[in-house]
Amino acid sequence: MSGLKDVYESAREIGKAMGLTLKTLATEKPITVEYPDQPMAVYPRFRGRHELRRYENGMERCIGCCLCEAACPTGAIYVEAEENDPDNPISPGERHAKVYEVNLLRCIFCGDCERACPTEAIVLGHYIDLASYDRRDFILTKEDLLNPPEPNTIIRPAG
Amino acid sequence: MSDWITITIDGKEIQAKPGELLVDAAARAGIHIPVFCYHPKLDPLGACRMCLVEAEGRRGKMLITACTTPVADGGVYYYESERAVDARQGTLELILINHPLDCPICDKGGECPLQDQTLEHGPGKSHFWEEKNHKAKHYPLSDLIMLDQERCIVCWRCIRYLEEWEDKPQLGLFHRGGETVIDKFPDGKLDAYTSGSIIDICPVGALTNRLARFSYRPWELEKTPSICTHCGMGCNLRIDSRTHRIRRNVARENAAVNDEWICDKGRFAMGFASHPERLQEPLARINGELRPVSWPEALDRVVRGLKRVVETHGPAAVAAIGSAKLSNEANYLLAKFMRGVVGSNNLDFREGSAVVADPRGIPSLADARDADVIVLMGCDPGEEMPVLANFLKRAVLRGGAKMIIVHPRAIELTQYAAAFINPTIGAESAAFDALTRATLDASDAIIPDWLPEVEEAAQVAGISVEDVREAARLLSQAKRPFIVYGVDYAWGYGARNLVTALTNWVVAAGHGERLGFLHSQANALGAADMGMAPDRLPGHRPLSDARARRELEARWQTEIPTQPGLSYGAMMASTPDRIRALYLMGADPVGEKPADAKALAELDFLVVQDMFLTESAKLADVVLPAASYAESRGTFTNTERRVQRAPQAVRTVGKSVADWAILMHLARRYAPDKKDAWDTPSVDAIFAEIAEVVPAYRGMSWENLGESGQQWPRDAVSLSRELRPHSGAAIPPSPDYPFRLVVGSLLWDGGTVFAATPQMAGLARQAAWLHPDDAARLGVQEGDAIEIRSRGGSIRTFAHLDPSIKPGSVFAPYSFPAAPVGNLFDDYVPRTSVAIEKVT
Repeated sequence: MSGLKDVYESAREIGKAMGLTLKTLATEKPITVEYPDQPMAVYPRFRGRHELRRYENGMERCIGCCLCEAACPTGAIYVEAEENDPDNPISPGERHAKVYEVNLLRCIFCGDCERACPTEAIVLGHYIDLASYDRRDFILTKEDLLNPPEPNTIIRPAG
Repeated sequence: MSDWITITIDGKEIQAKPGELLVDAAARAGIHIPVFCYHPKLDPLGACRMCLVEAEGRRGKMLITACTTPVADGGVYYYESERAVDARQGTLELILINHPLDCPICDKGGECPLQDQTLEHGPGKSHFWEEKNHKAKHYPLSDLIMLDQERCIVCWRCIRYLEEWEDKPQLGLFHRGGETVIDKFPDGKLDAYTSGSIIDICPVGALTNRLARFSYRPWELEKTPSICTHCGMGCNLRIDSRTHRIRRNVARENAAVNDEWICDKGRFAMGFASHPERLQEPLARINGELRPVSWPEALDRVVRGLKRVVETHGPAAVAAIGSAKLSNEANYLLAKFMRGVVGSNNLDFREGSAVVADPRGIPSLADARDADVIVLMGCDPGEEMPVLANFLKRAVLRGGAKMIIVHPRAIELTQYAAAFINPTIGAESAAFDALTRATLDASDAIIPDWLPEVEEAAQVAGISVEDVREAARLLSQAKRPFIVYGVDYAWGYGARNLVTALTNWVVAAGHGERLGFLHSQANALGAADMGMAPDRLPGHRPLSDARARRELEARWQTEIPTQPGLSYGAMMASTPDRIRALYLMGADPVGEKPADAKALAELDFLVVQDMFLTESAKLADVVLPAASYAESRGTFTNTERRVQRAPQAVRTVGKSVADWAILMHLARRYAPDKKDAWDTPSVDAIFAEIAEVVPAYRGMSWENLGESGQQWPRDAVSLSRELRPHSGAAIPPSPDYPFRLVVGSLLWDGGTVFAATPQMAGLARQAAWLHPDDAARLGVQEGDAIEIRSRGGSIRTFAHLDPSIKPGSVFAPYSFPAAPVGNLFDDYVPRTSVAIEKVT
């Protein structure tokens, strides 16, 4: 008795779902994005490829404190710090990063580095074209990070 | 437990030692009262107020500093009471008012007591929002230490360390209140040899290591408990590395050796490990030029080269020089290779068999700290072993010990000496005869007829009779004397007589068993233990001991030649006549004595196994790149016979290989039939073999050496000490060479290992030290270029005028490559006479 009722209930649910599909098919346009011919839409807080930022005066924000490295759960970041030349400082204060590397093959894009950074130097940007034929390309150097490529994305309005 | 008293903290009864500080008693009971200014090795001060607790007193509860309060029997204290907690939070808030928030770029961040205690005991918020005080940041106190005055919390630890341990008050507090800063005194310098210790004990990031600046964050360091190999003390330290590069060295506690201090050489001179000029791959001379070759080819070339010489000139034409800076394992295998595979006893190292050393070193370093009389003869701990020098100063200043110094020149410790005896150079044995006679005169012992009168001997030695009697009296009355002699009186012409003479004095005073030799090199004692001597087998057993030979022969699958080999000096002197092939491991005879380059170039075959392309290596047929001690595992035996471990801290440079591994592979290629005897694929296995072969090491293993090492028993090597006549007549200076050459070590030398740390280059100053009167006679002024000549050769250097130098002598320190004193030595030993000329 109850077996027959189950069959009926299930059929009704499937019918409802198919109904929604058919309704959407009729009323809404397809949302498939022809990436990379079309830009990808991402939310403002999307976590893409890392960038190192500068202050308006051109000084690097990164002070080489290695807190991102300490916060990184996968050991994807490697920093070597160095003392600033007082006559020709690279960052404000006494210390800057001589080496800053991110291993994108290890990175899980969790954003902990962003949160650990005391100067908002390392941020996860909106660039997402991360594929390459060479594994070495996945190690981002400080030079790569300071000069991020233009992302092929558009920012989706929040909400 | 009858000596213990009971106190109460927060209602809990705990046991304490009478007179103990409350902070220590509480710590034993698991209550860790926060402190900044308090340090167990410094006198209590109560400057920071961080350790406030409440104490029950006659007028009710009051706040007291736990770090300055000795516990009272039945005392009642409150650590967790509301008032105490509030007081500590307030203190911390006050300390933090002006402390900058630059933890992210501070080298202390991550191991900072202020950070840790703020987290644990801080209020969590501050009432203050005003601008912080600004003071000097990154202000270099010296080439080695950086000060950040903003970070300083005025705990005085650095000031107290320099005063209490170094007796060199070189830092002080200036200004008042919130403006207070630490600084050097006007025109003063911070140049104490253990100044780096103040970095370790600074509870904030005010004092940081300039050489390691910004090169690490504490949490990312690989920490390897190791030892220092710069001198024979064998201080314990920790090598902190990252990405296989040594980032810094910090002191490691070993109560028996270095307490918890290391000197600045041990701390900062570590550049040798990652130096760009380190040898990266084996080199072989091909068509007259050193070219890189593979390891198998290099080893085959060594085997062929040595075999050719053995076949044409016999095994006795092959010689090897080891090194007192290398591990027991390296020296043992070199000795085993030479005796067991090549078949030659020509084995030695610089300052090896030519030095009349006590193979047992000194009785114990800890003795220095509670001695009542200290006797230093021909050694200068101030320059050779700064940490020991601090112990000795402290024994004098705090323990009331009397120090007797017999030395060819006034040394830094002379200012602490109750008696300073400065005998005429060349007539030192007369000085000791005078001391012996004065000692015997004051006792009822029988006086041997060969011993001269005090007055007569004192006159020969050019010393005052009062000093002699005073020194003799002090030593005779001593209960716990620390008596050492050093290489200055144990090496060179007349050294054997001199050591007999000084031993006589110590024996006459009744302390023969307490006399020791202070080895100045890291593993000089260990290398001798390993049989790196022409006539001694491992364990100091003579080559003539047939039983010892048979034991080794069975283990080494060989026959050991019975003919004693040549010593270092004899080897070099008979190169290239009798010696046709030379194997140098960590030795650089040409660097010591450039004049020998010609003889070495004429050898049939020269192998150099080293970290750098030394002057000797440039002449070699094959150069084998060796790993530094930090890149290989090994044991070292310090001057108190303490065998200590130095594990591998970082990986090797390029294709360099650990010394032991080079020798093992070489031996296996040289003698495939002795494979079983060379089945020692690890340092642990070699050390296990050493523990079986060297009687004194019996029972030791890599594991049971532990982190603080093990001493081999002093009675494992017996030495009889008795009054003995000697033939040490005074050596008169020759008219052609009117000056006596005094040699010795300076902490800041210019040697290979030290020069590899370029940041320290400014500390070393090459000079020869002259008395101003002598200089005036020669027309020489401070800094003038001078030439020093001896029968053997000459060097050029600069004059430094110092009244502490004995007139008629010149002090020329070792290890300045531009002024190699070895050139002046006759027969490769010091104690010679020289002439000095101004270079115009």
